[in-house]
Amino acid sequence: MLQSVFDDVIRMNKRQFIYQVLSFGMIVSSALMIWKGLMVVTGSESPIVVVLSGSMEPAFHRGDLLFLTNYQDEPVRVGEIVVFKVDGRDIPIVHRVLKLHEKGDANNTVKFLTKGDNNSVDDRGLYAPGQLWLTHKDVVGRARGFLPYVGMVTIYMNEYPKFKYAVLTCLGLYVLVHRE
Amino acid sequence: MCAVNDRILCFIHWIMFEMASKKEQKENETPVIKVNKWDGSAVKNALDDAVRDVLIRKYNYIENFSLLDGRLALCGVAVGVATVALLWDYLYPFPTSKPVLVGCVSIYFILMGILTLYTTYKEKGIFTVAIQRDPAGFDPDLVWEASSYLKKYDDKYNLVLSVKTESSVTLNETSVTKSVANFIDVNGVVIPELVEAVVTSMHDSLTSHRKEK
Repeated sequence: MLQSVFDDVIRMNKRQFIYQVLSFGMIVSSALMIWKGLMVVTGSESPIVVVLSGSMEPAFHRGDLLFLTNYQDEPVRVGEIVVFKVDGRDIPIVHRVLKLHEKGDANNTVKFLTKGDNNSVDDRGLYAPGQLWLTHKDVVGRARGFLPYVGMVTIYMNEYPKFKYAVLTCLGLYVLVHRE
Repeated sequence: MCAVNDRILCFIHWIMFEMASKKEQKENETPVIKVNKWDGSAVKNALDDAVRDVLIRKYNYIENFSLLDGRLALCGVAVGVATVALLWDYLYPFPTSKPVLVGCVSIYFILMGILTLYTTYKEKGIFTVAIQRDPAGFDPDLVWEASSYLKKYDDKYNLVLSVKTESSVTLNETSVTKSVANFIDVNGVVIPELVEAVVTSMHDSLTSHRKEK
């Protein structure tokens, strides 16, 4: 059974083999281009994120998938849920805007404070040392929609990296070896 | 970018070299082709290869790869464009790289569209194009095209063989629909003689048809 799978590859001539490699490359690049396309359309460097903590319950639970946009001409408002990055932390945080300061109507002079719905205090303890406010450059995007539970797959994958690499290797091998 | 291209080219050359040396080893013996008979695409590929072998080895026609090369070029460019987008986004993180990303993404999806059109309307399942040279060099070249399809979960292998002169548009074609069980035994071994018999009869019917005209 396994032998016959590889026979298929061994019998290929060079063009068929190159096509096989290219079609694998195209599966990878299609996924990549869809992601980059979403980045361009939403203006956010990471248009889809997974909620990793329960700090926004009952609005979002662990494992919810969020869709973000980051249009520069739409100002941030109090009550909106933003995803932001903090220097020194790898993982972006999803929290609600609590206070906001604006100077004139130019967007880049906005500064704001966030808090998780389920947390008892605001986020100043989470920010980088000495940082009291967030500005536009910290924002990854604003939550526009969500899909519950779907992100649990990603969370499990990241908790068991070996499992993730095993699944990816199997899928990759299948595509490379299986001739269409 | 150039260096990356060179490396890919080098890799491809290496693969070609490897495949060529393997092929030379195999040239002398006729290997037994055994497939998983429940895997439709493996069966189709094995039968296609057997049909190609008849045209190329028995009749000594020259195989023309331009159709497949066109598809390879399209795929190669698409993967290249995606690689450019990935590298550019890595070197100049997102907001800066936006115009390049817009370009790459649109080119990529346009290429995918062209590829779909190419496979549906130009290739149409043709897996071999072979050219028959007149040994005397008097008659124009004849172009043989073989295409096939096998529906999913179906055993009926449909083979179409067509012939035309390079310049004319008139096309003679004949097709046959047979169960794959006519070519593959119970263990999944392809029997080249049975394929050859069918292809030969199709080939001869086309040749005699041409001569009658």
